[in-house]
Amino acid sequence: MFGLPPEATGMSYDTSMLQLVGYLFGALVGVIGGAIVLGLLTLPVFFAVLWVADKTAATLANATGWFPLKVVVIMFRGLRRSMLRTSLTYLAIFVLTLVLCLIYAVLYLIAAVTTEKEANFKAIVTHKTTIPSQMPPGYYDRFRSACLETLPPEMRPVNGDKDIMSWAFFLGTTDKVNPRKDTLAFLFALEPDKVLTMMDGLDDLTGSEKELLDQACKRMTANPRSIVMSPSRMKGMNVQVGQTIKMAGLNYPNLTFEFEIIGTLPEGKYEGIGFMNKEYLIKQIDAYERDRIANPKGEKHPMAEKCVNLIWVKLPTREAFERLSAIVNDGKFGTVPIKLETASSGIGSWLTAYKDIFKGIKYLLVPAMIGIMSLVVANALSISVRERRTEMAVLKVLGFQPRHVLLLVLGEALLVGMLGGGMSALLAWGMLGNFKFQIAFLGGFFVPANALIYGPALGMAVSFAGSLFPAMKAKDVKVAEVFAKVA
Amino acid sequence: MSEPIVRVRDLHKSFTRGTEAIHVLRDLTLDVGAAEFLALMGPSGSGKTTLLNLIAGLDTPTGGTITVGDSVISSMSESELARWRTRHVGFVFQFYYLLPVLTAYENVELPLLLLPLTKEQRRKQVETALDLVGLSDRMDHRPGQLSGGQQQRVGIARAMVTDPVLIVADEPTGDLDTKSADEILRLMEILRAQLGKTIIMVTHDPKAAARAQRTLHLEKGQLVRDTMTGIGFNAAV
Repeated sequence: MFGLPPEATGMSYDTSMLQLVGYLFGALVGVIGGAIVLGLLTLPVFFAVLWVADKTAATLANATGWFPLKVVVIMFRGLRRSMLRTSLTYLAIFVLTLVLCLIYAVLYLIAAVTTEKEANFKAIVTHKTTIPSQMPPGYYDRFRSACLETLPPEMRPVNGDKDIMSWAFFLGTTDKVNPRKDTLAFLFALEPDKVLTMMDGLDDLTGSEKELLDQACKRMTANPRSIVMSPSRMKGMNVQVGQTIKMAGLNYPNLTFEFEIIGTLPEGKYEGIGFMNKEYLIKQIDAYERDRIANPKGEKHPMAEKCVNLIWVKLPTREAFERLSAIVNDGKFGTVPIKLETASSGIGSWLTAYKDIFKGIKYLLVPAMIGIMSLVVANALSISVRERRTEMAVLKVLGFQPRHVLLLVLGEALLVGMLGGGMSALLAWGMLGNFKFQIAFLGGFFVPANALIYGPALGMAVSFAGSLFPAMKAKDVKVAEVFAKVA
Repeated sequence: MSEPIVRVRDLHKSFTRGTEAIHVLRDLTLDVGAAEFLALMGPSGSGKTTLLNLIAGLDTPTGGTITVGDSVISSMSESELARWRTRHVGFVFQFYYLLPVLTAYENVELPLLLLPLTKEQRRKQVETALDLVGLSDRMDHRPGQLSGGQQQRVGIARAMVTDPVLIVADEPTGDLDTKSADEILRLMEILRAQLGKTIIMVTHDPKAAARAQRTLHLEKGQLVRDTMTGIGFNAAV
């Protein structure tokens, strides 16, 4: 059904949303698969940590003779007894924590970008009802005029025109006949001289990265055919810096572009996309009108009045935003209805289309994963308790109280949970911290440092939930029944 | 017989299987003297192990009383019994039941962890117990690194390390070859004769029973014969 128009199938659902759900599901399966591989790779480290902890606890227990430490030693030894079962429990907790860390990072990022700032914040102009927003290029000029001339001086953008920028989204292919993934490029058509001041994630660059990007932007200004792309997209398309590529517009039909790749975006910034000069896009749109071969009637390009997707502005205060908002919303801008929002609420509006997916992730997927992993842990521990029923009974015979047995089983589970959750969170935090991964304009994608606390806590919580029932069963082991040879 | 240390009066134990009540022990009365080595014999299902479990405080009777020393254990709660067992009873199992992840030393030390002893006191007691069973040189070995006979000797060391008045053994030689079984029985005789421990041993083996001073025969939950073997190994001899 995918790829067929609704009228062909007789169904009226939104295919793109279904595809998105499909992609998300695929991504989730991929992440879980990757997490399992990572979990397996870290197993030796886990057992090494377990061994070191065991030896440390044993040394301390021998030195102090403290009863709880002796019990902890028994717990550690118990974990090392059945490597397979302990590994399974560790893997379940590792995968769960890693996946939840990534989900947490996404939700955290969304919360961060949709939280309003009080000063020096960005505002965004979009179409009132259409997503993605499409506005005439004249709107941009009028909006700049409103910002730089109509607003009272103290409310105007601090850096003047440098604080206002427009984006157009361009999707093109190097193979018009067979546009596969490795032929596609998604570019933001923008004003290169404003990249370093207006783009989230790039305005805080320092050192050589900043210098290289600055030089690239200057070259893009000088030569509008120049583009910069993220290294991952260049790798995906198998192209290199210095190469010239010819692309046909997919969302700008009948337009062709000849781009010169002059540089790369910094690692981890605006992953999977690239920047082009807006001037080149406008020039090609205008050229279409004059092209009597492709356009014998001399009509305007269908996208000519829709080629501004977003307009960004940096404003000094909330009052400035409110005044500008009143100007934009008074209906004098033109026939296309537009609105001015703070960047956070603009992004929030954009994300509204995906709110059901986020809700599903938060309220269905996360609890389901926790539930499933708890069952895996419970299953592993139940087998362990069943196998060690006699051992539990022996401990009771020796005088251990039922609560000691309960603590022993819970303690083993909590130790695996803490180590598994901790190692997983540490890996997620360290890995994504180094990758500096960024999703489009949403800013840097990272696992917050507090995941280092939540990770072990989650692992322990899942272990606790999974081990409670087996631990209760172990606590209630009837010694006489275990040792009875049926009278 | 010396002053009884174990007094069992009108003991009754029954289980319910479905709607059927199974009477395992019926109105059993018994005294076991201090420093006595008693063997319990009888066919399978006669109630030997059940009687042993009841005397050791591992189970509670359906009726009657059991007194060990000054403690009426038949009326104790599970927690009280656990505390009582730590101090007053040592157990020797047929299959040793040592914790495989712990060394011989750590296995013997286990019951002592529950007592208010210093580290040094614990070390001394563990070393004494292991020395008595002849395993001072094996204290860092795990059960898997020991023979069956050696494991059972660790089991005996664990049973006596808290210096209990009563040691109960459920077929302690049942899983051992003749030589090892003989060593274990000899050890038990030493425990009785030199340390004054009262020993109650369940066995199917008449040769093992013959090493005890007295043998009780059970059938269908009742005492059918009380035999004084009268040999009584005297370790001092």
